[in-house]
Amino acid sequence: MTVQVVVKANTYIDSVSLMSLSTKANQIEGVEQAIIAMGTEMNKEVIRNVGLMTQEVEEARTSDLMIVVKAENEEMCESAFVGIEELLTKKNKPSKGSSEVKYSTIKSAAENIPDANLAIIAVNGMYAPREARKALENNLHVMMFSDNVSIEDEIALKQLAHEKGLLMMGPDCGTAIIGNVALCFANAVRKGNIGIVGASGTGSQELSVRIHEFGGGITQLIGTGGRDLSEEVGGIMMLDGIKALQEDEATKVIVLVSKPPAPIVEEKVLAQIKKSAKPVVVWFVGGDEEKVTKAGGHFAKMSKEAALKAVLLAGADESKINKRALNLPLVEEVRAKLKPEQKYIRGLFSGGTLCDEAMHIAMEKFDNVYSNIQREPEFRLKDVKVSQDHTFIDFGDDQFTQGKPHPMIDPSTRIERFIQEAKDPSVGVIVMDFVLGFGAHEDPVGAMLPAIIEAKQLAEDEGRHLEIIGYILGTELDSQNIEGQINKLLAAGATHASSSQNAGLLAREFVVKGE
Amino acid sequence: MVSARSGDVDFIQRVIHSKLSGFVHSTFKRTLNIQCLEDGELYTIACNEIDNGPNTLIVDLASFEDMNINAYDEVHSDNNIISIGNKMSITIDRANSWESILPTYPANTDVLKKNIKIMKQYIEIHGKSGGIKSKSVNESPFEQEMSKMIQERKGLLTDELVKKQLHHAVPHAVSLLGLGPGLTPSGDDFLVGLFTSFHLKNSPFVNYQWFFEEIERAAKTATNEISYIAIKKASVGKIRESIIALVNGLLEENEEHLILSLKKVLNIGSSSGTDIALGILTGLETNIKIGGTL
Repeated sequence: MTVQVVVKANTYIDSVSLMSLSTKANQIEGVEQAIIAMGTEMNKEVIRNVGLMTQEVEEARTSDLMIVVKAENEEMCESAFVGIEELLTKKNKPSKGSSEVKYSTIKSAAENIPDANLAIIAVNGMYAPREARKALENNLHVMMFSDNVSIEDEIALKQLAHEKGLLMMGPDCGTAIIGNVALCFANAVRKGNIGIVGASGTGSQELSVRIHEFGGGITQLIGTGGRDLSEEVGGIMMLDGIKALQEDEATKVIVLVSKPPAPIVEEKVLAQIKKSAKPVVVWFVGGDEEKVTKAGGHFAKMSKEAALKAVLLAGADESKINKRALNLPLVEEVRAKLKPEQKYIRGLFSGGTLCDEAMHIAMEKFDNVYSNIQREPEFRLKDVKVSQDHTFIDFGDDQFTQGKPHPMIDPSTRIERFIQEAKDPSVGVIVMDFVLGFGAHEDPVGAMLPAIIEAKQLAEDEGRHLEIIGYILGTELDSQNIEGQINKLLAAGATHASSSQNAGLLAREFVVKGE
Repeated sequence: MVSARSGDVDFIQRVIHSKLSGFVHSTFKRTLNIQCLEDGELYTIACNEIDNGPNTLIVDLASFEDMNINAYDEVHSDNNIISIGNKMSITIDRANSWESILPTYPANTDVLKKNIKIMKQYIEIHGKSGGIKSKSVNESPFEQEMSKMIQERKGLLTDELVKKQLHHAVPHAVSLLGLGPGLTPSGDDFLVGLFTSFHLKNSPFVNYQWFFEEIERAAKTATNEISYIAIKKASVGKIRESIIALVNGLLEENEEHLILSLKKVLNIGSSSGTDIALGILTGLETNIKIGGTL
């Protein structure tokens, strides 16, 4: 017997249809048992009690619809899901963004959902190019979550997509919002008139939530994958993404986010900006202002600045925006609490760009900033397990994720490291991000909470103050309840930063001595 | 422009006097829910066959099908008009205000006892099984387990309520949250019915607001947002019109009226109406057993 599960995110079906569907699903040939129910803890308990618990069921949220099928073999399960999906399509028009069904091949998916125009590829990197090629050949846009794909394959796939007028987002693309549907690790944000092309996942997420917070909204968020702006790939997707947004009527302002591109690619991107009739805001972390301005773009050094520029260019009234100025009295207060030997920041991040941003902010004032993602070899950590002076660690980097889920899903590695840093008497500030949104951990702050309390106590027992800064990337529309997450953080005695930029600035300012 | 016929007084006042902006949370054939960004609550726009309810506005339409309204469509209000993207505008200028007002629990319970008996018999025959009312045949292992858990937990809850042990009752009530099939899980519907009976004026439970609040707090994460809002409202005695009509029917000596109002409630959702009705019955029986005040 095989048990397979499909979880349909944020799917609400009226009870009458749901019951009828459940009855019919149980009558499908080969199905021993089909359960269709909302993903509440209590319903999960029933499923556990009848021996059908799976990881997917465990992870379902209260707003998700769980479809659990027990059948003789995998084939029968799959055919049952096809049958259930047919029933579902007949009975209900599921709300936008909630359509999700399991097919074992791109071909069967394309045949069964003729209206589909996008495929998400999240299989092992070894097989991902083959599947992506099939999808492109079936005229589907591709979002490739998989990593460990060769650069040759990436170039070939992107060239094929370019020729066919399709998007090839990725490999290693974790965030996109296409046609108002959030894909993979995206946040729930308002629809609006700002389009984003991002070569960095959490950077794009940060922009989208700040734009949302400032009252703006998103048309499309096109992910490119982190290597797109390398010399080899040549920015194929970034350039196609910019063109797509330039042609999109709903998009009034374009925002780009990336690490600084390879010089030859940067030239192409800047040339494309020069041609743009729409304003383009450029946030290349650690990038060059002069080049961007010369090309007619709007340069932003940091994330909040980029989002603010975008919403103002999109027509927002500046006087109505709460810009969340840095809390300067708090800076003085914390500086006074830290001992002279508490000189260092330890940044423990699950988001790569958030780590990069905080690191660059620190580098503006300190010349001893180390990281596993530093571009300068001399400032790369020799041993990622051992911090050195100011250290910023991206736990989403390959060294930490081989054989383990991403820290946005499984925070255990970061928790261990956090306690290690808390014990170091030279540390004044630990800064962390907590990423909410689709696909992210259900309660990231809650998972870290016991460790924060323990660390605070540990420092107090040793007669020192340990400042912990938490930044929660998310919106009030995300399912994790951002307000509850903030309250948990504050209850544990941590400082809540209102943006990635403020988190970096606060961390830096707290440990500055003698100003 | 679509006209609203009637609506919850608080909803109407909110549109008239303050801002309502948000997005479409979920859509159904005859209702759509709006997530309000100002207060985080769900508001419902319902077609003309639906009864009034807390946070609900009834509009002059038979269905929302073919209006192409989707989740995340933007919603805002201005000048007494609610706009959903560029797909629908609703004026509330001619909407009658409706307010949820529960009747008084009677000092003399003779009529009530008689009506409870009638209602029980009617539900026995016409009530929908699969939730609080067990299925007698064709139960799958999942349904059997669900039914067993619901019955056990409902039993534990009512035992503590009858013993007036409200603190002990809370965890059993919480253990029903989110339990059961359907969009609004059966355990939630049962609690909505129970809260209804306990919020009747002069009910022995009416002054124990902390009891309702504790359950409401737990419900926020234990069930989905649509079901949660019904529990939240019921926890302060705000109940939809058809349920109030049923409670009124239970207090009057008019069997025809009782059956008519019961039929309407039993038609809510799939098993939801039956689950709510059984919650009301459990609540009223508890009120009777306890008598007086707690």
